[in-house]
Amino acid sequence: MTTTEYGTREEPDVTTADLYLDGIPHERFAAMRETPGLVWHPYEGKGGGFWAVTRHADVKEMSKAPEIYSSGIGHSNLWDLEADALEARRSIIDTDAPDHTRLRRLVSKAFTPRNIRVWEETTREIAVELLDGFEAAGGGDWVDMVAAPLPIRVILSILGVPVEDADFLVEISNYLVEGTGDRPSLPDDAYGNTTPVHLLPFGSPAIHALYEYAERIGAQRRAEPQEDLVTLLVEAEEDGDRLSASEYRNFFHVLVFAGNETTRTALTHGAMAFADHPGEWQRLLDDPDLIERATDEVLRWATPVLHMRRTAACDTELAGTAVSEGDKVVMWYCSANRDEAVFEDPYRFDIGRETNPHFAFGGGGPHFCLGAFLARMEITVLFDEMRKRGLSLDQRGEAVRAPSNFVHGVLSVDMAVRR
Amino acid sequence: MSVRLTVDRDVCIGVGQCELLEPDVFRLDDDEELAEVIGEGALPRDRAEAIVDRCPSGAIAIVGEE
Repeated sequence: MTTTEYGTREEPDVTTADLYLDGIPHERFAAMRETPGLVWHPYEGKGGGFWAVTRHADVKEMSKAPEIYSSGIGHSNLWDLEADALEARRSIIDTDAPDHTRLRRLVSKAFTPRNIRVWEETTREIAVELLDGFEAAGGGDWVDMVAAPLPIRVILSILGVPVEDADFLVEISNYLVEGTGDRPSLPDDAYGNTTPVHLLPFGSPAIHALYEYAERIGAQRRAEPQEDLVTLLVEAEEDGDRLSASEYRNFFHVLVFAGNETTRTALTHGAMAFADHPGEWQRLLDDPDLIERATDEVLRWATPVLHMRRTAACDTELAGTAVSEGDKVVMWYCSANRDEAVFEDPYRFDIGRETNPHFAFGGGGPHFCLGAFLARMEITVLFDEMRKRGLSLDQRGEAVRAPSNFVHGVLSVDMAVRR
Repeated sequence: MSVRLTVDRDVCIGVGQCELLEPDVFRLDDDEELAEVIGEGALPRDRAEAIVDRCPSGAIAIVGEE
């Protein structure tokens, strides 16, 4: 029995969810990056193994060739879905052009840099309120007190749903995060769910509650339109075409989940990184103009979404490896973001990097994160508000990480206010 | 050496990266909120190549030298 550099078994393994309880297995990814071509990675889930794409340049090449590397075939997660499940669960993420172009255009206007700037003041007010509470309490669970409520309250403001519902939506979102791991956390009939769970995103019955919520608020906005994103979604029209019921609720789900979970992850890893690297925090305190670069470094460091999968729509070649039509091809953003060929000293948290072409928002191409400018603004605002009040953090104990190979989630981390 | 740039609005998905990075050359229009070239539509070659690279939808192209 031999042991490879990438795993403890004979074969590479970066998919066992429990590996991620100790953080991203960077040394396994580094070994794959050094291996010429693509690495074939076995996988026990439906549809079997996949090509692991771990280098920055290869992730970029794939991202920019959506006609070759399809999002609509198979699934955007590692495992294949049955055709009925794929259709029921399909969101903008699992869609190719021309449908993707149509869906994206329907909502992109809400997320342009210009339109996101409108929300900066609201975000600052929320950040100040949360930081006040955190300081008054002398610290506590950073996820629960700051990182989770900030993005959910901002996206709820943009969607136009009541702030009282924030806790409920955070709860649902937490169950969805767990759904990305190996272990189901809820009974199939939770929240009154009657849909077979394989037809639900992340196989989680919690999504049933989110769908019901989406339909209720959608009906209200149809009856009484407001200046908000839910109204835009229900009234969205392009060339006489509207979102179908399924498109609408899956869009709502993506906006709540993606607009919440991923930014929370970035805000948490950012706080942990600054606590762990007090010199870098001092650097920001001394030079506030570093905030934009610091935001990019937090994004690179956090890489909230670890991978996305594509499926080859035709025979092709990547990094000198022949890829056959129908093969799963998986872009590991967490690996690209530590690629020695692109980032000098990649394991160093350095808020002064002059160029930082990280793939926290994907590798470019039409699936580039819809909420990129929103997430960036939220991160910038939070750390800028912390800087203004000179709030430094000390981490107490280990973070509790999500057992997931898909999201770089942190469930809780105890932070003290440094005096 | 400057080059001229163009936007294929059939391909653009309205991300706004171009307006953010090169606001003197690109703007999302008020109507469809898709990118359009404003002014001369010219940039030094290195910046032009960077913006072509950064456009997520691949809608921006270099069409010729100034």
